[in-house]
Amino acid sequence: MKLALAIASAVILVVSGIVFYDQFFHLWERNQNTYFDQARTQARNDSERKELADRSPKIEQIIVTQFGDNRVDRCTTCHLAIDDPRFKDHFEPLKTHPYSTALGDFQRNGRWERRHKFTDFGCTVCHDGQGRGLEAGYAHGEDEHWNDPLIGYITQANWRKEFVPHLKGKEYMEANCAQCHTDENFAGTPHVNRGRQLFFQTNCYGCHRIEGLSEGTLAPELSEAGHKFKIDYLWESIVDPRANLATSFMPKFNLSDDDVKCLVIFLKSRRGVNFAETSLARYEARITPAKEVITPEAALNKPAIKLPDQVAEGKALFEDRACTACHKLGDKDGGIAPDLSFEGRMKDPDWLRDHFRAPRSRIPDSNMPAFRFTDADFAALTAYLESRQEPPKISNDGAETFKTLCSRCHGEKGDGQGVTAYYLDPAPRDLTKSSFMNSKPEDRFIRSITNGVAGTSMPAWGKVLTDEQIHTVFSYVKTAFVKENRPFKERANIPETNPTPSTKDSIARGEATFLKRCTGCHGLKADGKGANSLDIVPRPRNLRNRWFVEKLIDHRALGSILYGVQGTAMPAWVDYGLTMKDASDLLNYIRSLNPPPAPAQPSRTIAALTPGDR
Amino acid sequence: MSDLSVQVPEAVAPEAVETVDAKQSFAAGLAQFLPNIWHSIFRHPLPDSDLGASQTSVTNFFLHIHPVKVHKNTLRPLYTLGLGVMSFVTFVVLTVTGILLMFYYVPSTTQAYDRMLDLRGSVAFGTFLRNLHRWSAHAMVAIVFLHMARVFLTGSYKKPREFNWVIGCLLFLLTLFLSFTGYLLPWDQLAFWAITVGTSIAAYAPLIGSKIQFLLLGDKAVGQEALLRFYVLHVVVLPALVTLLIAIHFWRIRKDGGLSRPVEADLGADQKPLRVEIVSSTPAGKRTFGLMGFVRGPFTKVGNVPDNSVYAWPNLLVAELFVFVITVAALLVVSLLFNAPLEEPVNILHPPNPAKAPWYFLGLQELVSYSAFWGGVGIPGVEVALLMLTPYIDRKVSGVGKWFAKERFLANTLFITFALLNVIFIIIGTFFRGPNWTMVSPF
Repeated sequence: MKLALAIASAVILVVSGIVFYDQFFHLWERNQNTYFDQARTQARNDSERKELADRSPKIEQIIVTQFGDNRVDRCTTCHLAIDDPRFKDHFEPLKTHPYSTALGDFQRNGRWERRHKFTDFGCTVCHDGQGRGLEAGYAHGEDEHWNDPLIGYITQANWRKEFVPHLKGKEYMEANCAQCHTDENFAGTPHVNRGRQLFFQTNCYGCHRIEGLSEGTLAPELSEAGHKFKIDYLWESIVDPRANLATSFMPKFNLSDDDVKCLVIFLKSRRGVNFAETSLARYEARITPAKEVITPEAALNKPAIKLPDQVAEGKALFEDRACTACHKLGDKDGGIAPDLSFEGRMKDPDWLRDHFRAPRSRIPDSNMPAFRFTDADFAALTAYLESRQEPPKISNDGAETFKTLCSRCHGEKGDGQGVTAYYLDPAPRDLTKSSFMNSKPEDRFIRSITNGVAGTSMPAWGKVLTDEQIHTVFSYVKTAFVKENRPFKERANIPETNPTPSTKDSIARGEATFLKRCTGCHGLKADGKGANSLDIVPRPRNLRNRWFVEKLIDHRALGSILYGVQGTAMPAWVDYGLTMKDASDLLNYIRSLNPPPAPAQPSRTIAALTPGDR
Repeated sequence: MSDLSVQVPEAVAPEAVETVDAKQSFAAGLAQFLPNIWHSIFRHPLPDSDLGASQTSVTNFFLHIHPVKVHKNTLRPLYTLGLGVMSFVTFVVLTVTGILLMFYYVPSTTQAYDRMLDLRGSVAFGTFLRNLHRWSAHAMVAIVFLHMARVFLTGSYKKPREFNWVIGCLLFLLTLFLSFTGYLLPWDQLAFWAITVGTSIAAYAPLIGSKIQFLLLGDKAVGQEALLRFYVLHVVVLPALVTLLIAIHFWRIRKDGGLSRPVEADLGADQKPLRVEIVSSTPAGKRTFGLMGFVRGPFTKVGNVPDNSVYAWPNLLVAELFVFVITVAALLVVSLLFNAPLEEPVNILHPPNPAKAPWYFLGLQELVSYSAFWGGVGIPGVEVALLMLTPYIDRKVSGVGKWFAKERFLANTLFITFALLNVIFIIIGTFFRGPNWTMVSPF
């Protein structure tokens, strides 16, 4: 017992000793002593020498109140020499902070003077980091719980390894310059400026809202993205959009690393604050409604496009508004959305105009944002697309036709995994599924290619290709992709039209059956988003796609319900006890969900809104 | 009485005496200066006899809490494992470190986190102080629980110690509440969401649940009001209550005749205390006094009876000192090696997934995930009620003073089952629950 007591007492003594030692020999004290010693050797006169000899280490702090919160910056405790020009060749932490004209510093009487004096600005306003920390690890923000690590210098341990090399570099600090220097063309923030340009050029503005810059509604608002997120999260969100949300439909844009860096720096500069603005100016900006449409040229202060020829205007707008960030037109291809090179032949002006104003009014499951341009702009864009009348230059070779026109969606291997496939709903058909390909008559496929599939992104190739070309490409598909070619066998007992008339009772019965049987896959709203839908490929049909349902003939619908669709998860409901009567009631119900389309409403552009609306 | 005649010595010339004695008495006085101060504070020398040892309990303020003699069984390490003293030691450590922390902490939503950063970064001994406070807090919850288990498993709650057991249960609940209120004070993500979860569980109580939650939070959600309330509770109200209850707890130990012990340890326990008759010379009547007559139980031995007790000085003191040193050493080592967590500042828009209550409430949270009412209110309420009523339900007096007495098999098994279940739920809640409270593997 006495021995245990002795040992425990010794432990207390030792621990106390360690704790005291830790407290009295801090690294910052050693740094300061080094500075005193070095400065003494370089001292100019005796009084300075004496002063330095008498100095003992103490905590230095700068209290900054003019940038929002009270900031307490203790960086100068270690970095004691930042304003001492004699230390410019020393190693950190006793190195002089660089002077440069890029920072606004200037020479006076042969000596440098700082524009951003540290006594006024502190350090963390520009560098981020944790001002109150007195150990390097904490002060620099290496702790992964600190939201603002030293930007461009420090990466935290839990950041993805493949991103870390990209996230270092002094240019990241421009994001903080932009907290005050909000001019678009400020010379000191080239990366922010380029990022802002890219924000429009790569069509981020269409989905994302940034206050004062864009009005997208499909995607999270980025007005305070820099305040909320660290740069690794911003980088990841651009290069791997599905990393944090598996169901995100943000396209993976094909951007170079430099472009991504500029975008990240631009987004990091969106902190929701503008220190240069007085509170009065901020208040005025809030209560004054926007007088004009926020378009890229308006935001980037470029002159509005007004060319005498509407088609030329449309072309300029098309390029300027970054439609090819997603779509393909001619040589430019964003790799995300359908090919518009032949739109003039495939779609009529009404379709195009409606689609511009509200894409989901024509393609109900479209990912395309509803851009808030003026009607005049939409008219010009429509005119331009209408002018695309030139058919593709392809020979009669089926393989080449497929590669040029079809593989973009259906994939090079015909498996429905083309570059745009992820972003299209319904997804492009998997042509290698022989069970599906063999269960339909050939003329059905020919019709789909020729007339397109209404309500989906499958265009009417018949407007662009000849019958012969279409047959050639389809034979190519059959031989190249469909493994076993079996002749199609027609089922005898499916009527051509719905035998049951569409009465209220029939619709009610159909609804009851639907709710009992169909909602698991097709969803309670019949939109194809049932609970099972995420696990099924191809996805269940959206039965509220009125364009599709309108063109769906009764014969085909009844056949699909009763005998299923081979190669998909649609079962043959006749095996589960459904009769033709049930199926025909169901069909009436489905048709009742899709009344004839009303004329499309004009979308409300910003110019049309009155101040009271906002 | 005989005539007392005093012989007065002849008067001596006063001056002669003075000149010789004045110098000597001044020097003597100077030499006596410091000893005089010392002896005015410590009026009794360190004891070197039984009498001296007995007197320590009545001559020293701090030691008067000790009895003069203590039963040998009380000092057996493997009997109590020192858990009671350990609980008290951790409480003292917490109070001292807590007061020191109070010099730097401000219970304001805008300042609290910055103050924590200052404590960590620039206050002398700040990190160590905070670590000590936090790990002692966790240790206290665990040790108080183990102390309760020891008391139960040795049957030491039985008559006459029933109410002391109830006080102990109250102390346990107050300890949990102290830990809970302190948990919020760093005002980081960990704190905020743990308290959000904990107060939401409280809201499941029927009828009064939402009122309790409002009382705790001062608002519908955790915010400045909650922080202030929790701070006041944590530094004033609850410590005062705990101190009061500890005082009563110790008083009761004395009045119950010391700690429990098995009957075998007290042979001749049927003897009643002897009464001493003091006959005074004045024939005013016989007066009788009972020695230590306020103490229940046959404890004081007068005369030739088997005595299994030892003097409190130095034995009890050494035992307590031993526990103190071990506990403090362990706490210091842990505080040196492990840093108390500090996560991101509070972001009410960003709840972590999963948001977990403090570890001692994780068992409850696990139960709540099965049933809100039964898990959060019903089962814990029943458990606490059963716990407190145990001495009134179990009235058998046999089996006291021994670990795992055979007569108490049922009671001990029940207790261990409940305790183990709680521990298992806490383990599940800590390691096996991931986002959306799904089962995940911790490996």
